[in-house]
Amino acid sequence: MHKNAPKIELVAAADYPSLLPKTRSGQAMATLKSHDTLAKASRIIALKTAELRGAVLELVKQMEQAARAADWPSVYDTTHEIRGLAGTAGLAATGRIANGLCHYLDAIAALGLKPDSAITSLHLGAISRSARTDDDAARHGDAVAQQLSALVARKLSEIKDSTTVQTRLFRPS
Amino acid sequence: MSGGAFEHLKALIVEDNQHMRALLRSLLNALGIAVVFEASNGEDAFVLLRDKQPDIILSDLSMKPMDGIAFAREVRMSTSSPNPYIPIIMVTGHTERHRIEAARDAGVTEVLAKPITAGNLFQRIGEIVDRPRPFVKCPNYFGPDRRRHATPNYAGPFRRRDDFENDLAVR
Repeated sequence: MHKNAPKIELVAAADYPSLLPKTRSGQAMATLKSHDTLAKASRIIALKTAELRGAVLELVKQMEQAARAADWPSVYDTTHEIRGLAGTAGLAATGRIANGLCHYLDAIAALGLKPDSAITSLHLGAISRSARTDDDAARHGDAVAQQLSALVARKLSEIKDSTTVQTRLFRPS
Repeated sequence: MSGGAFEHLKALIVEDNQHMRALLRSLLNALGIAVVFEASNGEDAFVLLRDKQPDIILSDLSMKPMDGIAFAREVRMSTSSPNPYIPIIMVTGHTERHRIEAARDAGVTEVLAKPITAGNLFQRIGEIVDRPRPFVKCPNYFGPDRRRHATPNYAGPFRRRDDFENDLAVR
């Protein structure tokens, strides 16, 4: 072996304990792919929708409070929770808008910049509104999510361009 | 005896949101997994891992004081880990590439993006049952092989052991 080769050991799947014995894996796969199992699980999710929606609304209140205090780490945390729950709560557009805001805040924080108030307030307003609307996806939620996503992409691209220009301008010769 | 394939399994859910914990528990119950332990952060989960010896872990990423990435690393790398080979499904709302890569590099077996659907969760469990991956042990990583696909026309860089053996790495 080459002298620079890193020390790497490979443990084959057969050499460590498997989740299920081989004799049960066929039955397990059949269970996982069964329409009955999926239907049962989907019914469970449907039954929890109202409870999850209540949880999302509670998070929206916390997000609004954090935004009023300009506490951006908390805004990020609550928006992140919203994006995780909203889709399962039947609030798909709310989840997508929250995802867009998280994506923006994450990128901005990585660059060490402050968030643009127009972008944040547009997202926060849209999240508050769509989470409180019963049939948000059927209304304007999806279109708003799409527009906001385009806005974030454009804004981040502008920032990236200006950062590149600055890097070029200040690069030592 | 009904003999459900999953009936003897024990699962551990690590998630700080109680609603998500309850949802995951119900979905696992629907599969036939009756014994489900719950923790709201990585530290508590590690205690349960030692005490209850679950067979599979479903873990969130963002938690305090110990997040899902630190927890996964502890499960895989710690000398006090009772089962470094345990399958870990990271259930996360994070879609940012750097976070997913961090989870993969901590040794998680599968990543499941929120919002959760039953189909997606079962598909990830199916991967673990049907296509278990070899584990890689090297100085800075222990976990499932992160290469899922072969790339025949790969042009480098060459860092794998067999690359060294075939002298590709010194091109």
